[in-house]
Amino acid sequence: MERRFHCTACGKCCFGWLPLSLDDAIANAGRFPVAMIWTTLRQGAKAFALTAQLGTTFELRNRKRIAVQIAPTAYIPPAFPCPALAPDGLCGIHADKPARCRTMPFSPYREENDQADLLVPKPGWLCDTTAAAPVVYRDKKIVFREDFDRERRALEDQAVPQRAYADRLKTNPEVAAAVEQAAKNPRGGYVVLNFSAILPRLQRVDAAAFSRLQLPVLTEFAERTAGIAELADYHRYYRGNAAGMAQFLARQR
Amino acid sequence: MRARYTAFALGQIDYLADTLAPEARGDFDPIEAGGTASDAVWQSLEVRAITDGGRDDETGSVEFVARFRLRGEPRVHHELARFRREQGRWVCAGGDMNPKAPPRQVVKVGRNDPCPCGSGKKYKKCCGA
Repeated sequence: MERRFHCTACGKCCFGWLPLSLDDAIANAGRFPVAMIWTTLRQGAKAFALTAQLGTTFELRNRKRIAVQIAPTAYIPPAFPCPALAPDGLCGIHADKPARCRTMPFSPYREENDQADLLVPKPGWLCDTTAAAPVVYRDKKIVFREDFDRERRALEDQAVPQRAYADRLKTNPEVAAAVEQAAKNPRGGYVVLNFSAILPRLQRVDAAAFSRLQLPVLTEFAERTAGIAELADYHRYYRGNAAGMAQFLARQR
Repeated sequence: MRARYTAFALGQIDYLADTLAPEARGDFDPIEAGGTASDAVWQSLEVRAITDGGRDDETGSVEFVARFRLRGEPRVHHELARFRREQGRWVCAGGDMNPKAPPRQVVKVGRNDPCPCGSGKKYKKCCGA
């Protein structure tokens, strides 16, 4: 079984949320407004074991155990283009774009043998999957696997600090209630949490340097989402985190 | 603990960071704490239980309930906080939110046991009748 795929650089997937590796999130602090997004996954789902290994698990009140994916994410409304998408419709940072963009359409958050549906272009996307495109997936194996392997390795490397962060945070009653609520969605729900909560666990990351880069980005997105009812959650996140960071930076002086 | 509550209410986040034991530092996000501290209207602090933490102790714990309003919503923070003396100074070594009280132990009186009222009769012939 062979699947063909060729990216035509249509830019249609350069909108909305973008999961990032922890390193990419830090490196792009001056570009993307980052949040920590927890996504629930029910037991029996194909990616359960992998998600539990890369993220964490959580016991619901009904004693069922779910897996939780923990993903630093460029938290951008679905209708907003990536800030790095240039006016010519191409990526403005192609040479050093995030690992997630390089691996597209494959996803290391899933098992390698469970990638076939990701090769079907979403409605409106102009990906080339005709006979003219190269074979990228053969017998459930990825043909050009460098980017996939690199991103998977990054996820494995960050699993340790992320689990320490998550295992502490999930004892917080408010977080636990939000996860419980998200898990009610059979297809998986999500919880958006402040990215800053993981910073104290990253020894080589300077929270002040991160905040100096992130604050103007949050401020800009807060302005762009102000007064739009359907983006109220986004606006609240940007504004709340910008306020916390502004005060944090003021105390540094 | 009272000093830390006061520091929170006054927005003195550096004091909060400074009075944490090294192992609790990773749990403390000064960015979020600052945002919460400035948006919260503090209402009360109730100390429910204290264990150790006296002049001759090296450790102690305090169970407390802090009530505040955050962006208009009433919030309750109930924590069993652990403290440790480090170089003569008390530092917070973490805590558990919404601690559960230890399970209540109830001694059941069997019907043929002597009655707890002290009459000397069997329970079933006395109070348990």
